[in-house]
Amino acid sequence: MDIFISQIATGLSIASILLLVALGLAIIYGTTGVINMAHGEFVMLGAYSAWALQTYAGIGLIESLILIFIFVGLFGWVIERAVIRHLYDRPLDTILATWGIGIMAQQAIRLMAGGELRYVQMPEALSASISLLGVEISAFRIFVLVFTAALFAFTWCLMYRTSIGMKLRAITQNREMASSFGINSNRVYSMTFAYGAGLAGLAGALVSPLKSVSPEMGTSYVVDAFMVVVLGGVESLVGTIVSSAILGQLTGFLAFYSNDTIAKALVFLAIVILIRYRPQGLFATKVRG
Amino acid sequence: MSRRTAIQIGTYAIMCLAVLLVPTFVDDAFLLNKYSRYLVLGILALALSLSWGYTGILNLGQAVSFGLGSYCMAMALKLRTIPVHTGKAGLPDFMVWNNVTDLPWFWAPFHSLTFAITAGIAIPVILAALLGWFIFKGRVSGVYVAIITLAWLVVVNLLIVDQQRYTGGFNGITDLAQLELFGFEFDAYGSSSFYLIAITLTVCLFFALAVTKSKAGLIFQGIRDHEDRVRYFGYDVANFKIFAFSLSAAIAGVAGMLYTVVMEFASPTFLGVPLSLSVVIWVAVGGRGSLLGATLGAIIVTGMQGALSESETFLETWTLIMGFMFVMVVLFLPKGLAGAAERILDHIAGPVDAKGGVK
Repeated sequence: MDIFISQIATGLSIASILLLVALGLAIIYGTTGVINMAHGEFVMLGAYSAWALQTYAGIGLIESLILIFIFVGLFGWVIERAVIRHLYDRPLDTILATWGIGIMAQQAIRLMAGGELRYVQMPEALSASISLLGVEISAFRIFVLVFTAALFAFTWCLMYRTSIGMKLRAITQNREMASSFGINSNRVYSMTFAYGAGLAGLAGALVSPLKSVSPEMGTSYVVDAFMVVVLGGVESLVGTIVSSAILGQLTGFLAFYSNDTIAKALVFLAIVILIRYRPQGLFATKVRG
Repeated sequence: MSRRTAIQIGTYAIMCLAVLLVPTFVDDAFLLNKYSRYLVLGILALALSLSWGYTGILNLGQAVSFGLGSYCMAMALKLRTIPVHTGKAGLPDFMVWNNVTDLPWFWAPFHSLTFAITAGIAIPVILAALLGWFIFKGRVSGVYVAIITLAWLVVVNLLIVDQQRYTGGFNGITDLAQLELFGFEFDAYGSSSFYLIAITLTVCLFFALAVTKSKAGLIFQGIRDHEDRVRYFGYDVANFKIFAFSLSAAIAGVAGMLYTVVMEFASPTFLGVPLSLSVVIWVAVGGRGSLLGATLGAIIVTGMQGALSESETFLETWTLIMGFMFVMVVLFLPKGLAGAAERILDHIAGPVDAKGGVK
């Protein structure tokens, strides 16, 4: 029973990080139709910002979160303004352009911060572990879980309870129509991109104490996050949360019970089959044209 | 034959001839090996141009076909070294290290080089046809094709790395014999391999050119430009896509086999995500809508990469430059360098008869 609960806890912890990465990706893809291959690099930039703020400015992880959100969000905004906005009518080319941006970001970080692994200190107050249902769980992981839940709730409110969110949903449904009603779609697109990037940056900052920080770290996250988005459907926030829970638990259990590589290959195969039969995802009712 | 086609064939022939003349000017074995490598990657780019540039299928898993071709050749050449590196009952060395006692059944036919070369084309084609059947019959298109092919690449790569006992795992298959065909021995550092590759490149280029000029080739381009319209004309779009996809896999398989000959090993990096995405860069830079453009794109970009990463100053910044160049090409030259060349051609031969009809 204890093993079972601790497995669930590990799965939840993986799922919360997945959700954080996938949320930004889903919002960007759902709204603008851009497949953002540089999303992993946004995660990586967030992690490096956490490391740099801690090492050079002595700011703790929790205090630096808001700075990191602004910094990575700004980076995303610049990317959207400079490159992505020229490509909205060529969706396949956005894969290529964002991938090019991704490798540039990786190499730039490698040149500036060095290629070696970096480590970020866990906040002192959260370094203990808490006993829950007879299982020891790291306090930091619980913090990540709660923080992710709060961010998700915030994003949901932003999308469904504010006028910005309403404009955003209108554009998602029909850009031309929304524009003719006076919604500035360019502005909404760039704000969406910045917000998604900021979320990815937060994800990177939050995983930095759990994993080592390296220029290539983003790649594995972006692949997993893509799977979450594909599984959940692009326009469904609830789908994103359910599918990250499924994938998080699945990864946790498969890694525990069987050969890691084969498990991974099986998950990918399952995704291939899923896209073939339900390209709109498991939980969405409609798909962007 | 229109004047335009004549100019095109002439350009292709001059390029191929120029490539074939290289060994008369270059004597350095190391350089020849390097140039052969660029040419092989040129063939790989040509394969992607056929599926992406002509049919609109962005195959991010092109390296699957390339890598499988490479492994087929490596298996055959590995078995030829056994008298030297003998294990128990004639096993390749890495199997001995992994405690494999008998040669696995699927290795046995690779004693025959003919079988290996056939397999190096047939296996990629069969897998591509199956995957193509699976996705195109379901009318999956656009970005989803890109994601599926990428996921497929990761699956195959993971499996090959995982089955270390039979595939050599991370190390791949090393210590190979030299390829012997029709009594010729193809030394990776000699002009013989270079000629083999240059001639294969020429054959592939003209074969692909013939395909694109055929009726099927026109339908490919029709599918790329307006899939539904082609469907309304009564063509089975899925079948044509499967055909283009498999044809591209066959050429990539050939390129993979030659890569093993040049590199003298096969490795899981040959079907890695970085290589597969690099091919897309080369083709985009050279011009996805032109077979020769894509080939030259691969040769130019890998050539630059080779030259720049050798000098101290650029070793670190090379990736940065390549990423920047790539973003710029996507933004400002969607048709690549070939698109720019075509504009010049328009001045000579008059404008194209239909939009994108003749490249």
